[in-house]
Amino acid sequence: MRRRSILGHPVLLVTLALVAVDASAQEARSWLDKMNRAVEELNYQGTFVHVLEGNAETLRIIHRREGGRTSERIESLDGAGREIIRHDNQVQCILPDRRVILLEEPKDLSPLVSALPSYSDEIEPHYALDLHAIARVANRTTQILEIKPRDAFRYGYMLWLDQETAMPLKSQLLDDQGAIVEQILFTSIDFHSQIPAQAIAATIDTTGFTTLRPPESSQLAADIPWRAGKVPGGFKLSVATQSQIAGSEYPVEHLVYSDGLATVSVFIEDPHTRSEVSEGFSKMGSTNAFSLTLRGRKVTAVGEVPRQTVRTIASSLVAE
Amino acid sequence: MTEQFNDQISAFIDDELPDEESAFLLRRFERDADARSRAARYTMIGAALRDELVGSDPEILRRRIAAALTGTAPAAQQRPAARVQWRYFRPVVGVGIAATVAVAAIVGLRAVNFARVGAPGGAATLNAPLQARTPEPPPSYVVPREVSDAPVIAPAVRLTNYVMHHSEYASRLNRLPVHSNVVGAGELLPPVETVPAKRETAGE
Repeated sequence: MRRRSILGHPVLLVTLALVAVDASAQEARSWLDKMNRAVEELNYQGTFVHVLEGNAETLRIIHRREGGRTSERIESLDGAGREIIRHDNQVQCILPDRRVILLEEPKDLSPLVSALPSYSDEIEPHYALDLHAIARVANRTTQILEIKPRDAFRYGYMLWLDQETAMPLKSQLLDDQGAIVEQILFTSIDFHSQIPAQAIAATIDTTGFTTLRPPESSQLAADIPWRAGKVPGGFKLSVATQSQIAGSEYPVEHLVYSDGLATVSVFIEDPHTRSEVSEGFSKMGSTNAFSLTLRGRKVTAVGEVPRQTVRTIASSLVAE
Repeated sequence: MTEQFNDQISAFIDDELPDEESAFLLRRFERDADARSRAARYTMIGAALRDELVGSDPEILRRRIAAALTGTAPAAQQRPAARVQWRYFRPVVGVGIAATVAVAAIVGLRAVNFARVGAPGGAATLNAPLQARTPEPPPSYVVPREVSDAPVIAPAVRLTNYVMHHSEYASRLNRLPVHSNVVGAGELLPPVETVPAKRETAGE
């Protein structure tokens, strides 16, 4: 009697295929985790090109990690030469073209928030992870990782992760049709064991600049009565708080929804605030926003998601 | 520098500039360091967008200048030939200096001093500590903007504040693009005087 090869057994083959798929997804998740730590925990400086809607801009980043604390400077090498300087959760945005400094210091960054980008298997009902070939970017070997959205409520990503450090040397933000929305490409990057604190200091002389900072706070309410009544699958409420935002006299109620990869913030203005945000869609680069007035409050949803997502969330806001 | 001049540089790199204007531009490269730096950076961006950074593509500008001098098409796909060709033009001192400085700027920009670095937390061999701010030439130029049919919506300062605040809650994957968007928003912002806010003035 002829013996059947073990590989000829259909159940075994299916099982092996499933194990292989699971191992691949696990490896992809592992790459995401490594990337997540790399961008935060390594010391590096680099120049990158940011491409959006046919416009290209060159920027430089210096990222410093020392004693568990993170600081970072991003500067535009084009045009007005704007800078963003971050020391942990204090963020300073210097706008030399306006002679203005915007200061942000969210006081509500709880451990829950810092754990926001959890690349767990919870994202997989909404994104398909796939490892592709090895490629060269900026003269380094990279692993290509595709994160494909399973619906039109979120963007996808194609990431070229440095094989040694997992730093994303090239990333593309893709819509649900696979079209490139935005691209970031490092043209050079250096890693260092240490970066001196002064490397993060502003390069712009801000003498005479106007600083817009959040007002000294008052008691911020912990209970926010607002919730989005309709959110795309996978988006969960991560934060509900009152925030002080630079340029605002009154606290703003702030909700954050995340699907583990993309986040949407919903800002609900105090009724006394004279808002400058116009109704309807607006955007800043690939960050979409949608504003409307609900019960006398200006509501604005902001996120690195497609337009329909910010509109769906903002429009469904209800008071509990 | 004017937008027209930016367009000229861009057209020169793409070999789309008429001969007379190319000659004018070459003369300007000789005496204008900013123009050379700008051209070098345009070349770098173009190469980056075409995924041509790997290899010796910083030579694109050098080949382009050489081609302009001889009236030949730039040998984009014939790198070794281009190098030989360039050797013959070295005696052309003025343009040579311009090209060299331009290429040096490009090479400097993409001087990838990569170290062998391990995964975070793992064993790694790193570059020496960065002792002081690298005295890189302050690159200052405006990228030529492509004409786009997409409507440009001017984001209000308020929106900038929202986006900045939101960025602190964005995933680490998305934070860099969000910050890049804010930094790159450029001249789209309306006057800040329209924003009611608590103000203070630095340096007072």
